[in-house]
Amino acid sequence: MQLDPSETRVVRGVTLRRDPAREDCFVIGHHETEVQAARDYGSVEAVRSMLHREYNNETQNTEVAAQTLVDFPDAPWELRMQLARQCWDETRHARMFLRRVIELGGRKGESPIKNGDWSIVGMIDSLPGRMLVQHRLFEGGVLDSFRQVARGFRESGDARTAEIFEVILADEIQHVRFANQWLRHFCKQPRAVMQMAAALNFAAGVFRALQPKPGERSVDDVDLAGVDHSIVINSDDRQHAGFTAAEIADLMQKDSQLEQELNA
Amino acid sequence: MMTVRERGETVATLRWIHVRLMETLAAWVPTTPEMEVKLLFGAHIWDMAQHADALGKRTHELRMPLQHSIEPEESYRSLLADTTSTANTAERVATFYDAILPAIAARCRHYLEGTDRLLDAPTVRILEHILREQERMIAESRELREQLPVLELHDAAPLARFLDAEAAMPTIVHHRGEPVAAGAAS
Repeated sequence: MQLDPSETRVVRGVTLRRDPAREDCFVIGHHETEVQAARDYGSVEAVRSMLHREYNNETQNTEVAAQTLVDFPDAPWELRMQLARQCWDETRHARMFLRRVIELGGRKGESPIKNGDWSIVGMIDSLPGRMLVQHRLFEGGVLDSFRQVARGFRESGDARTAEIFEVILADEIQHVRFANQWLRHFCKQPRAVMQMAAALNFAAGVFRALQPKPGERSVDDVDLAGVDHSIVINSDDRQHAGFTAAEIADLMQKDSQLEQELNA
Repeated sequence: MMTVRERGETVATLRWIHVRLMETLAAWVPTTPEMEVKLLFGAHIWDMAQHADALGKRTHELRMPLQHSIEPEESYRSLLADTTSTANTAERVATFYDAILPAIAARCRHYLEGTDRLLDAPTVRILEHILREQERMIAESRELREQLPVLELHDAAPLARFLDAEAAMPTIVHHRGEPVAAGAAS
């Protein structure tokens, strides 16, 4: 897989994959400063913005899975079947979020979007590396964040939105699980291990380069450097998704270290 | 009456076509701007994959490797490649749902008319299931087109060209007449 320079874009010094096709009604941002960041379960506008962001994220997940089918035609057929199934799942998730946006009085394209996952994952030219970053890292993180967000909506009295997050969370477990199974298989091949290490290194470099600087604010005026990103590890669902007890313990330890650093 | 080998070659050719169409939809997902169409294509990737999978299991029952594909005749491959190269969304939708799928359905029906429904019952079940499912996919595309005027096709000539050229091919199956190598699955 070789990308033509016209298929990439440089954002804050890092080369990322150019955005997938979007209609003119969308405003596309390329950094957290260019999209909304407020997470207020009591504000209809903030909720709509959160749901609209997830609508685009699920669409991106469809695009990543579809592009992986295109980029790796020689992947085992069983894995291609799982990616194809994932495409369907992600389209349903996107539709669920947009339907809720509309129920709450919103519309497609009403708030800026960012195609962050696509931009990073689309640069990774190996199947093991791509699955490590997309499925285990990004979608694994969704297992934690969606449970927390679902609880937030339920506690704020919005059971309908909470249910959407809970339903999607159950689907995401399958995606992370099949990836974990394949990644364990890939781990037996030294070349694949190197590809995974390279992909992880690339993703870490992008995160560092795009991390908001002190004083930077989102379009809805949130102090981005001050946002609390701490999330409780969803150990039950991570276990369902094939993470071992030792891997979950590692994540919890890192989480606890991060929390101590933030509180210091 | 078809032989077991000829049945296997037909099923393996249909599998090749379904895998290729799954890949076509997959390539269209990131490059189609209209979100509703993008999501329709994304959902139908899974349908095409399941149809390919069912055909690929049947190839194994017909003395071929599991999930075995055989390339169709070159003229059909190049027709398919030309027709699916469009970047226009309305053309993509019309090509896929008004031309390619109906043409495949006609090939499947032709096969069903010519085969012995008892001797070849497993293939019959698979093809009848695929026909029903692809009718649903076409209906879903029609429903979307009723909602989105932007999908109205202004130039139906490419569709007509595909349908004429496809109908003019007496067969798209490349019957080899020699044993299939084990492990040739793709």
